[in-house]
Amino acid sequence: MYNVPLHDLHQKLNASFGEFAGWNVPMIYSSTMEEHVAVRKSVGIFDISHMGRLKITGKDSLNLLEKAFTKKISKTKENFMSGPTLALNEYARVIDDEMWYKINDEEWLAVPNAATRERMINHFKQISEKNKYNVEIKDLTFDYVLLALQGPESQNIMDKLGASWTSGLKPLEFRLNENIRDSNVFLISRSGWTGEDGFEIWATPKDAEKLYNYILKEGVKPIGIAARDTLRIEMGFVLGGNEYGEDPLKYPCALSLKYGMGAIDWEKTGYIGEESLRSCRKEGLRWIRIGIEMKKNFARFIPRHGYKILIDDIEVGWVTSGTYSPILEKGIGMGYIDTRYSIVGEPITISDGKGRSGEAKISEFPLIKKK
Amino acid sequence: MKFMSRYQVKIGNLNVIIDDSVLYTNSDEWIKVEGKNARIGITDFAQKQLKDIVGVDLPKKDSNISKNGTLAVLESVKATAEVYSPIDGKVVETNERLLDEPELINKEPYDNGWIAVIEMNNFNKEEFLTHNQYVENISKRK
Repeated sequence: MYNVPLHDLHQKLNASFGEFAGWNVPMIYSSTMEEHVAVRKSVGIFDISHMGRLKITGKDSLNLLEKAFTKKISKTKENFMSGPTLALNEYARVIDDEMWYKINDEEWLAVPNAATRERMINHFKQISEKNKYNVEIKDLTFDYVLLALQGPESQNIMDKLGASWTSGLKPLEFRLNENIRDSNVFLISRSGWTGEDGFEIWATPKDAEKLYNYILKEGVKPIGIAARDTLRIEMGFVLGGNEYGEDPLKYPCALSLKYGMGAIDWEKTGYIGEESLRSCRKEGLRWIRIGIEMKKNFARFIPRHGYKILIDDIEVGWVTSGTYSPILEKGIGMGYIDTRYSIVGEPITISDGKGRSGEAKISEFPLIKKK
Repeated sequence: MKFMSRYQVKIGNLNVIIDDSVLYTNSDEWIKVEGKNARIGITDFAQKQLKDIVGVDLPKKDSNISKNGTLAVLESVKATAEVYSPIDGKVVETNERLLDEPELINKEPYDNGWIAVIEMNNFNKEEFLTHNQYVENISKRK
């Protein structure tokens, strides 16, 4: 199991650690709920160095990316991230959802999920070999720390660190080789996975440690990976292994994810999984992803991964992720339901399959309504 | 309702509070005998494992419960956990405050975080762990 480079620092901050996709990550510092609220109401700092960092260079870079993803990567502007998109297998099941950072047509970066980093590297290599692409795929995961400053106060913190120029960064825009105080930042982008304003920063362990300490000195709370999960559930963001995966017997077609955000471009052709994805569209979906909100009397029931979704005692779907939302003050989650029953607002029952159940309703994403 | 004597032990990287005036089970409940009744809760070690408790299903008052039967269900952000009854008996009191403030179990596991009071059918001290035995028990788990 890998430790993140700043492991000792997190230990000093009294983090409790847990395993995530082969990494020993700081899960909780104080309390997941307190950390969650800090990110929603003010600001927090994550160390997400367990995520992958890849670089693709060479004259066929764009050809490779177009072959692997469901949206037109060529539309990405320089110094911007592509927005989320999906890498599919031949069954139109999702290998990974990721964004690509365009430095120029022949130089791209990405942050694949921790669990699928190696799978994506192999996937890219296979595509490149098959098509005789001229590309180089480099794994930078162990070269940089990845920090995420997230929350409505993120810009204020940047201002305090003397980096008020970052206010000029549009959502998904990034800069390379900047300095924040005496810390060299390889990449800084206006992005995140919490639904809040914020920045993601790549820096060498030495530079990242300095920056992390400066950020803490501004009173920013360290936030664990457990809160990252509860925050993404509120937003309805999907996670590999929960909402998607490659096995067609375990996971529905990628279209069932109802991913949104322009992740799938129907104008686009020639990518892996296209044929199966188009037949999902043509034949109609058996399953569709829905949001789940517990009813008032069951507000403290958490719908968990693997629980059943029932209507009139008939099993009509399953829960893929769930948590307690300290913002909505109730159990929330998401899951797949037979499309015939997918009506927002309709009552459903969530059952653990062992006799414990709670009443809920079908809800839309995001589960928290942003101003 | 404050108990007399508490001390701290280090289990792994956790600072665990031990109360020496109660008895323990190896499934991390504590039991305090009050005449023919027993007050029951979960230990500081247990709440520190679960963290962020956001919901509690309490037993029905006046219901009969058998030893090792499910007394309560705790919903934490991390997991759903059952609390087992350490004894046979009848539930005579439940901590209704937990319905709105389940975090009391995290904050005061031995005090306002108690779960239920059971009128005991019988009581045999030998079935439980002393505070020393409990510390030994949890030390081996980490």
